[in-house]
Amino acid sequence: MKIPFRQYFLPLIAAAGTTFAAGVTQAADATPVTGGALVWGVETDPATLNPQLNGQDKTKLLLRNVFESLLSRTADGGYVPWLANEYRISDDGKTYTFTLRDGVTFTDGEKLDAAAVVKNFTRLKDAAYSGSASAGPVSKVADAKALDAHTVELTLSEVYAPFLDFAASLEILSPKAFDSAQLKSGGTEIAGTGPFILKRYVKGQDIHFVKNAAYNWAPKTAAHQGPAYLDEVTYRFLPESSVRTGALSSGQVDVIEGISGNDAGLFKDNPDFTYQNALNTGTPYSLFLNVTYGPTQDVKVRKALLAAVDVDAVLKSVYRGERTRAWGITSPIDAQFYDKTIEGAYGTDPKLANQLLDEAGWSARDGEGFRTKDGKRLSIEIVQAQATVRDQRNVLLEAVQAQARQNAGIDLSVSYVDAGTYTDRRKTGQFGSIANSNTPTDAIDIEYHYLPIDQGGSINYSRASAPELLTWLKAAASTLDAKERFALYAKLQRFAIIEQAYALPLYEPEDQIAAASYVKGISFRQFKQLPESAYDIWRSE
Amino acid sequence: MDVENVTALHQAPIASLQGRFSSIRTTLLSQILGRIGSGIIVLWAAITLSFISLHVAPGDIVSLLIGEQIRTPAIEAAIRAEWGLDEPLIKQYLSYLWRVLHGDFGRSYVLQTDVATLVLSQIWPTLKLTGAALVVAVVFAVVSAVATAGLRWPRRIAGGMELVLVSTPSFWLGIVLLFVFSFTLKLFPVAGDRNFAALVLPALSLGLSLGAVIGQVLREGLERALEEPFALTVRSWGANALTLRLRHGLRHAALPAVTLTGWLIGNLLSGAVITEQVFGRPGLGKITVDAVLGKDLPVVLAVAILSAFIYVVLSTLVDTLYLLLDPRLRART
Repeated sequence: MKIPFRQYFLPLIAAAGTTFAAGVTQAADATPVTGGALVWGVETDPATLNPQLNGQDKTKLLLRNVFESLLSRTADGGYVPWLANEYRISDDGKTYTFTLRDGVTFTDGEKLDAAAVVKNFTRLKDAAYSGSASAGPVSKVADAKALDAHTVELTLSEVYAPFLDFAASLEILSPKAFDSAQLKSGGTEIAGTGPFILKRYVKGQDIHFVKNAAYNWAPKTAAHQGPAYLDEVTYRFLPESSVRTGALSSGQVDVIEGISGNDAGLFKDNPDFTYQNALNTGTPYSLFLNVTYGPTQDVKVRKALLAAVDVDAVLKSVYRGERTRAWGITSPIDAQFYDKTIEGAYGTDPKLANQLLDEAGWSARDGEGFRTKDGKRLSIEIVQAQATVRDQRNVLLEAVQAQARQNAGIDLSVSYVDAGTYTDRRKTGQFGSIANSNTPTDAIDIEYHYLPIDQGGSINYSRASAPELLTWLKAAASTLDAKERFALYAKLQRFAIIEQAYALPLYEPEDQIAAASYVKGISFRQFKQLPESAYDIWRSE
Repeated sequence: MDVENVTALHQAPIASLQGRFSSIRTTLLSQILGRIGSGIIVLWAAITLSFISLHVAPGDIVSLLIGEQIRTPAIEAAIRAEWGLDEPLIKQYLSYLWRVLHGDFGRSYVLQTDVATLVLSQIWPTLKLTGAALVVAVVFAVVSAVATAGLRWPRRIAGGMELVLVSTPSFWLGIVLLFVFSFTLKLFPVAGDRNFAALVLPALSLGLSLGAVIGQVLREGLERALEEPFALTVRSWGANALTLRLRHGLRHAALPAVTLTGWLIGNLLSGAVITEQVFGRPGLGKITVDAVLGKDLPVVLAVAILSAFIYVVLSTLVDTLYLLLDPRLRART
């Protein structure tokens, strides 16, 4: 094994270490160089290496080295060929036909053919294999069949607009994988068609991939064709942000992801490093206000909270301007469905906030300056799962808390809870607000948040069930007309944020990558905005 | 549970060893049998308590497994069926015991892997870390106690230093050690479980605070020993101060320190969680924390069994050490 560190003084390590740059020839920045190894410090150790079962966005960059899908997405939300050369949607919008590319093989020797793809879709429908995923978009598939060796036909039970994104993005596993004991946990027996092959995984330490020399089917969205440049790539799990920063600046790793606002300055404008970031897709990190419990049942209280908090000031003080304010129900970079006229359509207005609260009957004040009604304090409890506290969100919530108190006398309290308590509180609905974000594209994020809880709204934290929501979401999902869908989501956005104040959007989460300057070709995936695999990456020294 | 069990276990063999030389075989045999018996009871208690406490903790297992994803009755049913959660609790408990007796620890709900394989793959790095930390702790304690006991200023300085170490969170100590020795001086690598050099900083950050606690106890014991009449006798033989401290004083001072070390090793195992996290080391720590939070019962139970097992082994070792250190315990009738 190569030791990917620079040489250390200790003779022990020096004896074992080899300088990895030795095999790499020098070259100008412009011409990519083949060969060499890369070490990347990442935050998250995957819960499973099976990409179909793994819901952690932070681990997609690892899994994408091995697994590929039928189509690739372009920056504007379009689709280009990948494992499939072309696709057709029937006039009634229910039948999807994919023609597969010739000559693609899985790294375990199996051929990519229509039967293999059909197996992936049919197995995913089985709850015993895929759990919750079986109730997702794949549940709309009434029939999946191979018309011939290269043609896959999927027939839906009803028109469902987000289906194309799902079908195009599903990571295709080798048919052999479904007979492996490793199927659910993932592992070296679960092969894909990708540019790298999984060689070793040590939980809690690292995951190691080597080049797939036979690879020759990169999509047009990639920067080159043919096999990957790097011979091998290792991702090391370093959960502490300051440790990742130190490991990169001391040359122990070549690339890191997940950089705190405070550390970004170390790499930005520093010639020895490169720094890039990309906003996530999906719902911004927002305070969702519970419409079925406590004071937030009253729309006036919800609106007052939106008017009381100066989000710009809060972000500036917490993140030093390194984060982007969010206004709506989906990410400001969503190329398809984000209606930006929401920006500035509401805003900080302490006078309005106080007036609304007076009207709502919260007119008295207690000794600490909080508003009260019938002797009860205006308290809203934010329930935040301990597991999703990252990116200084605890500091952010404290700042929001201070603003609500100062500007409107609202007592926002924050409870950090374990996973079990969180599940219980979600189930009983006894909470004032839940703060979270999520990343699906193609309005699936909007469905999860605004469909009724028992009809697919799996993270409908505001517990909103206004009949308009269901009507608009159903209408939008059952048409393939992009303009009509945009108009419906825009209407929903205004209703949810301005009229009903179901949520207070705070900021759009983002991914950051910093790398030593000799590492070239790092990029974010087009459209989905997550860090891309190591396929296009090369070392200039 | 831990502390009481361990002390109870300490006393049993001491009592059983009080036999005469002629009957030493029978004593040894009954000691071993007693040890195995109490070991099994400890293991059973560990399994049962973990089983009960996890079921009492908030959140039901199916909801936790589904998390924020879509839930339908069909999915819930599939999950219940897969893990046998539709059985009554008592049946789940008994069938677990039955399977463990056959060496089957089940499959992790969350990680979907065989628990025995998972735990075995993670135990070695943790044992290396805690073992190295223990060495650090003992060396630190002995050096600091022997070098400073009874000396007015040195003992104050050492005591102050120990107080600082004891009250320093190991997370913070780890980060500081990394910044100085890894990021700035580039002497040691940050991450993983690869070679000896990668073990140095984690062992220091985990072991130093433990060493500081033991050091304080050891120094007091040493000071008491040096005031006893035998110290004067040894001095009158012409032994120098160091020989007195090392060969004679330390023996007397060691008993309380050994007891303390025995059960502080439990702290090492739990402290390893944070150290593993900071240094990106594989190990049982993070797996256990995640398993407890996610109610991943098979993993939690396997770790409980393992830690109970380690406690039993350790307390046996500690008892044996008593006998080696203090001949009076061997001869007492």
